[in-house]
Amino acid sequence: MYIHHHTCISPQQTFEHADVETLHESADNKLKAKEPVYKGIPPGILRRMGKAVRMGIGAALPVIKQQSLIDGIIIGTANGGMEDCIKFLNQIIDYEEGMLTPGNFVQSTPNAIAAQMGLLNKNKGYNITHVHRGLAFENALLDAMMMIKENPGNNYLLGAVDEISAYNYNIDLLDGCFKKEIIVNKNLYDTVSAGTIAGEGAAMFVVNDNAENAVATIKAIQTIHTKDEMEVSRVLQQFIQQTLPDNEKVDMLLTGENGDARLLKYYTEVESLFDEYTTIARFKHMCGEYPTASSVALWLVCNRHQWPAHMIKKQCKNSTVRNIIIYNNYRGLQHAFMHIVKYKC
Amino acid sequence: MEKEQLKQQLKQQIVQFLNLTSVKPEDIKDDEPLFGEGLGLDSIDSIELIVLLSREYGITIQDPKEGRKILVDINTMADYIAEHKTK
Amino acid sequence: MSRVFVTGMGIISAIGDTVAKNREALINKQCGIAGLTLFHTKYTGLRPCGEIKVETHELKNKLRAHEKGITRSSLLALHAFKEAIADATLSANQLSSRHTALIGASTVGGMCLTDELYNDANKSENGSEYLSSYDCASVDLYLQSRYSMSGVINTINTACSSSSNAIMYGARLLKNGLAKRVIAGGTDSLAKFTINGFNALHILSPEKCTPFDRDRKGLNLGEAAAFLVLEKEEDIAGKKIYAELTGYGNSNDAFHPSSLSDKGDGPFLCMQKALQKAQLPASAISFINAHGTATENNDAVESQAMIRLFGTPPPFASTKANTGHTLGAAGAVEAVFGVLNLYYQEIYPGLHFSNAIEATGLKPETIYRQGSLQHVMSNSFGFGGNCTSLIFSKI
Repeated sequence: MYIHHHTCISPQQTFEHADVETLHESADNKLKAKEPVYKGIPPGILRRMGKAVRMGIGAALPVIKQQSLIDGIIIGTANGGMEDCIKFLNQIIDYEEGMLTPGNFVQSTPNAIAAQMGLLNKNKGYNITHVHRGLAFENALLDAMMMIKENPGNNYLLGAVDEISAYNYNIDLLDGCFKKEIIVNKNLYDTVSAGTIAGEGAAMFVVNDNAENAVATIKAIQTIHTKDEMEVSRVLQQFIQQTLPDNEKVDMLLTGENGDARLLKYYTEVESLFDEYTTIARFKHMCGEYPTASSVALWLVCNRHQWPAHMIKKQCKNSTVRNIIIYNNYRGLQHAFMHIVKYKC
Repeated sequence: MEKEQLKQQLKQQIVQFLNLTSVKPEDIKDDEPLFGEGLGLDSIDSIELIVLLSREYGITIQDPKEGRKILVDINTMADYIAEHKTK
Repeated sequence: MSRVFVTGMGIISAIGDTVAKNREALINKQCGIAGLTLFHTKYTGLRPCGEIKVETHELKNKLRAHEKGITRSSLLALHAFKEAIADATLSANQLSSRHTALIGASTVGGMCLTDELYNDANKSENGSEYLSSYDCASVDLYLQSRYSMSGVINTINTACSSSSNAIMYGARLLKNGLAKRVIAGGTDSLAKFTINGFNALHILSPEKCTPFDRDRKGLNLGEAAAFLVLEKEEDIAGKKIYAELTGYGNSNDAFHPSSLSDKGDGPFLCMQKALQKAQLPASAISFINAHGTATENNDAVESQAMIRLFGTPPPFASTKANTGHTLGAAGAVEAVFGVLNLYYQEIYPGLHFSNAIEATGLKPETIYRQGSLQHVMSNSFGFGGNCTSLIFSKI
């Protein structure tokens, strides 16, 4: 599967005039997305959109405007419009199930993002929303790979969105997902405590089976559910054996390390599979932790830039980064590997 | 409350309630249709406006179809509110 | 690409907690929609629902599911899942194999726990045991861990068509060689969230719903879970085979966030795509289990779309008058019913119908009868214009 367009709204300058060299700082353990001015969304529609829908549509806008370009929409989001969801819930309790406004209810369903894209693009093709928490984007990606195999020549809009709302931050904080002490993202990997920092964003890709002018190709993806780091390591070795040609090596391992001391064992185990040939890089200090954060990793691979020093954990000597493995892990249970080949810019 | 004052208040409430970020209350004309052309509201907005009438004026409308007769423009809404409000 | 067969089914709904009991109820025109007795809401007595009359703690005891943080949605799912895997005689080893996928669907997930969620979202201490149980994925993550599943695990939410899409995704995994067997379905339990949401949209009926009736007053919500075991042709020698999944189509109506277009492009296109996938002419369809929610919008549009595609539509009915609208479970529930139509060569009557919609004159089936059924279509349309149609065929 080949990637052509790629856009990203994240806590860093990734949407317009991308500059990933400068690292924007987190506040209160949250990395909030730098939302652009959404010029292309009709105000009558924009007014109803919660942040997740807005970011998703905003990131997809450059593509959505070109109606003929896409044949279907495949989105991964763990929570969709969480803010609207809890706003509606709060109405239920606060007004004691009295007269409630339905707007929040309609916007809160996770499929509202893909649906709104379909609406704006007048796209009556395949439209689906995967919500499998930390593997929502990976399942969307697998879906897109199947669609392309089944429908040669078609283009699909593949993307991922999740938002920080005060409410899900609160729930996840109570659940021990975030650090109790306030840190800043540039020090994320220096901390030794449990928990990480929260993030949000949207990344969109146009994918098809056409190699011409592609920025990258996704060779393979695999997902597993396990708490055993040795199992993760074993499956990754098999994965690499199957997907990587014999005479090639992994140039870069891009991991979802997130500063949570409880999850370090997975990353340590995975990194130990690679020798000095492979550069090891990280991305969660840029986007924070959220269930579909791996979509930002994929965008970083597609984007034309030098790898900024703040991403590099271990630099190797090879000059070209072609074969990339992304390893991400959500809460020590949901793991995903992607093998991507990046083409020369 | 004077009718004009009620209309001004209603316009502000509509803008706020429906999050009409690109519309100023004073831009809404009294006889401008709320739905379709004019303000361009839709069926979900009509339900939201029925909730507005309930929360702000204590007016209960059970049947959304009846609502459509009241929610024509600012004039019809203000007339109905003046006659039926309970708070 | 391999052919895909249904080798096991499980269901729990307001009309029974096994496939056999659901079939009996359908034959006997049993309606599971009634006043709420277990679930507490202000709308008890005002909005009848298809409630499963088993308390959550009873389900926990029956299923021996006493882990922390298990929600009613997960329990219903587990109930249906267990029946389906037993029906398909899947072993523990097969379940935990890398070649076994689980594709679930839900729209409510753990949000059935409205009060707990309210507290956990708004208060700064004393989190409940449900902190990681609110999302839709929590259901399938529970099943994954209970059965140590290691194949592809996924959760889909496309509102009311969620579990039809789960079945479609499962079939595609098989055809693409990404799994040898798939357990696909969905679950949803009654929740203040959905009762108030649909009520705020003024589409909940104060009476038992009357699909395709001229004077229909809206839908009744229900709760259910259903799973189907799908396997490939080459792996099913000697097994019981219910039906073949021959067609599926997914399309978006691209019209409005919560209602369907008058012309019904989404419904029309998904049915058309399903026929194309099955390589069947419209005339080959013997029966349609319609989406038929009994809202003014859905039944009018679905009727128009059926007329557009079929000219004279084949016999059809909606089982939502039996079970209520079970949202994320509805596609799988009705897939089970469609498979039963084929396996037993019988049509279940639609309930509560009196007069046809004037514009279309279409009348659903209202009498139980046996007949020769070759291909059954099952429709599901959701908010956001997400429309999916499945076709099952007789072996």
